[in-house]
Amino acid sequence: MQITNERNGNSLTVFISGRVDTATAPELEKFIEENTDGITELILDLKDMSYTSSAGLRVILKAQKKMNAQGSMKVKNVQSTVMEIFEMTGFSDILTIE
Amino acid sequence: MKKIQKLRSNLAFNIISAVVFLLLLFSWIVSIIGYVSFTNAFEREYSDTTANMAYTAAALVNGDHIDDYLLDGGQSEEYRKTKDNLDTFCKRMQVSLVYVIKVDTTDYGRFTSVFNLVGEDTPYTPWEIGYQQDATNDTYINLYKEIYKGNTLYGTVFRTTNLKGAPPHITTLIPIKNSGDEVVSLMCIQRPMSELKESRRPYLINIAISTIILSVLVSLSTAFYIRKKFVKPLKRVSDETARFAKENKKGEELGTVSSINEIAKLGHAIDEMESEMIGYIDNLTSVTAEKERIGAELDIAKTIQENSIPNIFPAFPERKDFDIFASMTPAKEVGGDFYNFFLIDEDHIAVVMADVSGKGIPAALFMMVTNILISDRTHMGGTPAEILTFVNDNICEHNQADMFVTVWLGILEISTGKLTAANAGHDDPAVYRKNGKFEIVKNKHGLVVGAMKGVKYKDFEIQLNKGDKLFLYTDGVPEATDKDNNMFTIERMLEALNKNKNGNPKGILNSINESVNAFVGDAPQFDDLTMMCLELKEEEDLKTLTVDATTEKLQAVNEFIDGFLEENGCSPKAQMKVDLAVEEIFVNIANYAYGDSVGKAEISIENNDGEVTIVFKDSGVPYNPLERKEPDVTLSADDREIGGLGIFLTKKNMDSVSYEHKDGKNILTMKKKI
Repeated sequence: MQITNERNGNSLTVFISGRVDTATAPELEKFIEENTDGITELILDLKDMSYTSSAGLRVILKAQKKMNAQGSMKVKNVQSTVMEIFEMTGFSDILTIE
Repeated sequence: MKKIQKLRSNLAFNIISAVVFLLLLFSWIVSIIGYVSFTNAFEREYSDTTANMAYTAAALVNGDHIDDYLLDGGQSEEYRKTKDNLDTFCKRMQVSLVYVIKVDTTDYGRFTSVFNLVGEDTPYTPWEIGYQQDATNDTYINLYKEIYKGNTLYGTVFRTTNLKGAPPHITTLIPIKNSGDEVVSLMCIQRPMSELKESRRPYLINIAISTIILSVLVSLSTAFYIRKKFVKPLKRVSDETARFAKENKKGEELGTVSSINEIAKLGHAIDEMESEMIGYIDNLTSVTAEKERIGAELDIAKTIQENSIPNIFPAFPERKDFDIFASMTPAKEVGGDFYNFFLIDEDHIAVVMADVSGKGIPAALFMMVTNILISDRTHMGGTPAEILTFVNDNICEHNQADMFVTVWLGILEISTGKLTAANAGHDDPAVYRKNGKFEIVKNKHGLVVGAMKGVKYKDFEIQLNKGDKLFLYTDGVPEATDKDNNMFTIERMLEALNKNKNGNPKGILNSINESVNAFVGDAPQFDDLTMMCLELKEEEDLKTLTVDATTEKLQAVNEFIDGFLEENGCSPKAQMKVDLAVEEIFVNIANYAYGDSVGKAEISIENNDGEVTIVFKDSGVPYNPLERKEPDVTLSADDREIGGLGIFLTKKNMDSVSYEHKDGKNILTMKKKI
């Protein structure tokens, strides 16, 4: 997994690529935790994310809950395999997916 | 119609009909005879009387003057007088015709009337004197001739049918002679035959009436007699046999059912038959009941015997490193052959093939004892030789029946393929070497078990490699016999084995069975047919990874699984789903199975025709993750718990997931088509 980001005022776009699994999810969790204070718009660009397990979902849900409190969150460019998992777990209903 | 048919088959009716028919025939014959003799006697009497009348009449005529009468045309006084006399005679005697004729003696074919007098109430017109006429027929011509020549004293002609208006009559002709004793003319008297008819009719009526009365009387008495003596007794006999056939129970004795000897004998015979049949039925019933009881017990015995050895296949479905199959076909309900196999521990399997001397229940009992002794002793540990030595000593101690058993006992170390065995007088096994063929492997034979106490058996070793097979059998296989008493032989057995040498144990045993059946044909199975095949399998299609159950090992697990999936041509999408499920389950084991300590997790994967099966095993606390409550995926983000989705995703992404706890292990199996 690789994480890059782009900050534009109070808006933060996080580019996640590769696999988000039990081993790598903690790293993503830590990054979001540390970089979203004061952010009102969080955008997750999943164009290159090929895989996520429940560990990755857990991080995304946690981010959504935090952003619900301080602004909004959007998910972009979801690959079909990952989208299937979002739909399976009802995440497609609670996330704002573009 | 039915009534008539019924009558026709009725005994009394038939006999009576025959009697009536015979009586009718008899009376008809009597009537004919009576008729003929009556007619004859009457005619004789009549003709005599008429002849006498004719003589009397002839005396009235003077034979010397016949020609004179004709010459003067009956003008003389004498002619008239004679005619008057004859007329008086005719009326008195009540004859229909009195006439005198002179026959032309050249051919007797013509005659001339001299006198002709007609009786009262007759249809005739009298001829004038000199009237000439041809003779009526040849009968008359002959008579004329005979009488004229003096060959006969008189002639009689009967005319029974009406001829030319004349009613039936009798005509008697006698000669009138002159003083020179020459026949000069004929005196003819014709009398009607009505008297004959009149007196003959009552005679015939009498005969007919008496015959009918006689027939009726005889018929009735015959019917009564037959009914009493035959029909009734026969009906009793037939009723009794019908009743007996229906009820099969003793009824009233027929005894002496009739005074007719034959029918009485029949009655006695039926009585006797009934008692014998009742005895026979009772006997048959008890024999059948006994046979059924024994049959039922044998069935139970057969079930017990079958269940005393493993008979459910595949016997070890979870073992991928070996395969075993065995079959037993007893010649009788229960047999003396047996096989057995069982795991002593995870790495050792014992295989037993044995053949008890004799067959049937004694052999089956002996087999049960031997089998239990061998398996119990084997579980206690030791080499096959030690086990057989122990079993032999034990059996000899109590062997009153002098039975014995041949045993081949082997213990295979599955991981190394080292097969240690001992042979107590049993047939040598056949071994298949990978890429080779089945061959008999000869080894040391010990004495059969049960023959003599204190026998020491010796172990020997056969090294099996992956892909090798061991085939054990009893002598019922090579000694299977066809109807011409030819044996199947070891050679044919090897041939059959090698025909399907690449098959699995079940397939190999099936082909042997088919070959034996084809060889034996319709001949009855003489000996038990028992076989077993053990294959040490190559692990080509099974991959196992054993790792510490920690999340750090997730990458190693992923690589193991992905490597296998890629090798097996799995689609990226399916691979992602399998990866996801594997991660969730493995992480679950890593986090919870062993608490704070670190234990092992074993992951195996195999591909069966496009369906991968992944099995996770750990020795941690027993826990079935599938029982965990499913998360509510419809809640909003704020209401949803973080976590708890792993098992849910696993179930969603795999085709099937199952859990069992066995031998102290959590075993989770999941399957997915790739």
